Amino acid sequence: MPRFDEGRPEMTLEEFRLLRDHVYAHCGILIQENMKFVMERRLWPRLEALGIQDFGSYHRYLRYDAQRNVELEAAVESLTTHETYFFREPAQLKAFCEELLPILEKRNAHTRRLRLWSAGCSSGEEAYTLAMLLKDSGRFNDWDVEVIGTDLSRRVLAVARRAEYGPSALRATPPDLLERHFIPVGNNRVRVRDDVKAWVSFGHHNLADVAGSQLVPRTDVVFCRNVMIYFDQAARRRVLGVIRDRLCPGGYLLLGHAENLLSLGADFELVHLKGDLVYRRPDLPGGEGR
Amino acid sequence: MSDTVRSPAGQEEARYRALQAVDPRAPGALETFTTGLHDESWRVRHAAAEGLRRVPDAKGVTSRLISVLGERGETGARNAAAEALAGMGPVAMPPLVQLLGGHEDPDQRKLAADILGQLGHPEAEDVLLRALSDDDLNVRVAAAEALGRMGGDAAARALEGLLDTPTPLLRLAALEGLASLKRAPPLERVMALVEDAGLQRSALRLLGLYAPGVSTERICRALASPVRSVREAALVALGTQASGLGPYEREELDTVARSVLGGIPGVTERVAQALDGEDVQVRAGALVAAGALGEASLAVPVAEVAREDRLLREVLFTLGQLGPEGRRRLLGSMGTLSLPARTVAAEALVLLVDATSVPELCALLEWAEDDLRAVVVRALGRTRSVEALAPLVELLADPSLSGIAARALEQLTVAHPLAALTALEAAVEQRTTPAAVAVLGRLGGARVLPVLRRLARDEEALWRAAAVEAAGRVDGEAGLELARGALADESPKVRIAAVRSLGQQGGREAATFLGLALKDEDRGVRVAAVEAVGAAGAKERSADLEALIRHGDGALAMLAVRALTKLGTVGAGVLWDALSHPDAEVVKAALAALSSAEASADGAALAVSLLGHPRWDVRVAAARVLGGLGRPECLPALEQALAAEQDPLARLALMDAVARLSGR
Ligand SMILES: C[S@@+](CC[C@H](N)C(=O)[O-])C[C@H]1O[C@@H](n2cnc3c(N)ncnc32)[C@H](O)[C@@H]1O
Repeated sequence: MPRFDEGRPEMTLEEFRLLRDHVYAHCGILIQENMKFVMERRLWPRLEALGIQDFGSYHRYLRYDAQRNVELEAAVESLTTHETYFFREPAQLKAFCEELLPILEKRNAHTRRLRLWSAGCSSGEEAYTLAMLLKDSGRFNDWDVEVIGTDLSRRVLAVARRAEYGPSALRATPPDLLERHFIPVGNNRVRVRDDVKAWVSFGHHNLADVAGSQLVPRTDVVFCRNVMIYFDQAARRRVLGVIRDRLCPGGYLLLGHAENLLSLGADFELVHLKGDLVYRRPDLPGGEGR
Repeated sequence: MSDTVRSPAGQEEARYRALQAVDPRAPGALETFTTGLHDESWRVRHAAAEGLRRVPDAKGVTSRLISVLGERGETGARNAAAEALAGMGPVAMPPLVQLLGGHEDPDQRKLAADILGQLGHPEAEDVLLRALSDDDLNVRVAAAEALGRMGGDAAARALEGLLDTPTPLLRLAALEGLASLKRAPPLERVMALVEDAGLQRSALRLLGLYAPGVSTERICRALASPVRSVREAALVALGTQASGLGPYEREELDTVARSVLGGIPGVTERVAQALDGEDVQVRAGALVAAGALGEASLAVPVAEVAREDRLLREVLFTLGQLGPEGRRRLLGSMGTLSLPARTVAAEALVLLVDATSVPELCALLEWAEDDLRAVVVRALGRTRSVEALAPLVELLADPSLSGIAARALEQLTVAHPLAALTALEAAVEQRTTPAAVAVLGRLGGARVLPVLRRLARDEEALWRAAAVEAAGRVDGEAGLELARGALADESPKVRIAAVRSLGQQGGREAATFLGLALKDEDRGVRVAAVEAVGAAGAKERSADLEALIRHGDGALAMLAVRALTKLGTVGAGVLWDALSHPDAEVVKAALAALSSAEASADGAALAVSLLGHPRWDVRVAAARVLGGLGRPECLPALEQALAAEQDPLARLALMDAVARLSGR
């Protein structure tokens, strides 16, 4: 084994749990016990940057230092997985285009306004993907359209705003779409075209922060894919409350393909599309207040 | 009414919600749920099964469910009943045992065996063993599968016995069962079964349980198979075999694997393909194969596996096996890698660098990610090249990297002391960043004192602070003098620097000044002062610290306890106060003091009282202290706490303490 780790402190199981609990309380992300190794590696640079010798002291720093909030954010940033790419889960996107977009076009015809939210958008691929699909549908061209991407990590948001990507992010992008919506910038990299970018905006938001969610506008569809897999039931429940609140009545919630709302209460109704299962905020009279 | 409610989906939703609203205690609940077990929607059936589990009359529920198992033609309901029974726990055991032992319908016996397997209770082992000689093959197979989930010696022996039966289906169940029990029968028997096409995949997986050697050879040969699922089974086995091996056995495995894999045409492409697969276990095995092959061209796909957090450790190991050429290839592809891959690539890079790598490294600094840049900065320090000085000095200006850059610079100055000093002096002259002052002070010694004195009068607080702190390191007398002046500075940052400097000086005068700082109006200064008192060994200030123990600010109280412990002046009265502080960190600091201070009977009694603290980490700390104090009279309390303890870490600490006190 190469010595990547020389001179770096080990994390005891106890320190692991204290740090894990701290992170959990902040943003609902639950780190499994078998991930101690990963946590240790991801936090080493933080210890180095602060000149802190061991993880026990780091925990106390997170609790007491005047800079603790800044540092907690940095820690969570390095702990979260930001894996994402354009046109992820094509079957779901197809169902979205073919079945939900017509409904939304009809429903919002009088306002000619459409809002989508990519909650936990990571480096922006999902939000741009949605904007590209809206463009290609040809239904909303002179509408007031906005795709809002939010994430807990400020670092990925910076990448999202830059809108420049490499092959890894494009691995599921069909060639014609690549041609239509991106411009090459050299070194195997591409940039999202300005007309798509014009429909997308990004912002910082912790899904576990109920009060802060007021800054997100009411939306017609929320994509919250592969975010809540890191949460436990309690945190999921809280986040679903936030999402429900930010959805227009009758608005849709799309989760990642390995996720569902089983045993999370009846705030959403299940809608069977031909190509996918999605959730919907009820729009029955009286549905508002529930 | 909305469309959804009238639609079939809406109706399903309504039935689902109706079932969820049923009170399991209400009369008739059993009937309602049982009806729900027969619903056409699996979601509704699932909700019914869940509901049944909560009906108070468990015995009645069980016998009702058993009767549903007998409803031929109602597959959905039977499966839902089976699911519910598996969730009932031990109360479902007796009727299921009876069913398996004596029902005339083989279907029912089979279901009973399945459910007993899911319940996993050791008491079912006997009846399942008997079912291995059932007249019906399906029952025998179900029993074998169930035994594979139970554990136990008898189960393993029986499964092993089945490896010779003429019935292929049973042999398969036996292999699968042994693999999931992680019980390896004698190697020759499994080796023989690998040659059987129908059993090959399961036998291969089982081979993963043996130590490296012939088993490895056979596993690796399977990678030549044209059948993808066989190759994947082999990779899973290889991954299993490699997991948990020490370096020596791992080398043996790699040698064998290399010799076989090297002879398989097209193996590199196959491994590359597997590295990109969906299954985590297959990817883990592919990493082992890639490492054994040492094939540099696999570096990029290997690094990309880092997208899966769980495999990070193996990815790093494997990259190490791909050698310098593999790492060079990674560097060449930096721009095309995903973010996680780029981070591991950068780590691999640190090991590779030499004096010629500086331009390459500087190019990497263009990447935005901070953790990646941190790795690059460390690598710059390792180049030992004079060329690395300028970029590192520049990086001192980046707040998120200046700490790491300063340490890297220190590494470089061993090789190039004069050049480093000149570069730093220039940086200070051009006012690049105050962080340069600290490094300059550490490297320049007395020679830079005039610069530091000048900077201590600078217009900007950050520069004054840097100068004061640096001076403390350079020279005691000058440090003291500058610190005294700085304590009257209007900026808390400068006062904090002064306090830190005093902490390094020690001595009577420093203690006096620290006494003032402890009463500073700024919390940051007070916090720094508490730490500095401990660092300076200023016993004169003990009384001031004691006064802080009950402070509502946990940080102050915790640091005061730690400082007093360092001074060796922590008294029992103080500990009493600290141990009842609402902040758990203060309590833990006090417990740590108990173990280092002269242990009084009071101390032990105090620690005992904390064994019932609501926080697990405090209970852990209390158990550790008691284990260390070595007072046998505490043993009963520890044993009692152990009996009640639920938290796994606290249990461990308690067991350890009990073992120590009882001399075991
Ligand atoms: C795996 S990525 C998923 C990206 C994208 N939705 C997709 O499916 O491709 C998960 C993202 O969720 C974000 N995240 C995790 N916890 C969050 C929280 N409490 N609030 C907001 N975002 C969070 C992470 O920072 C990360 O970027």
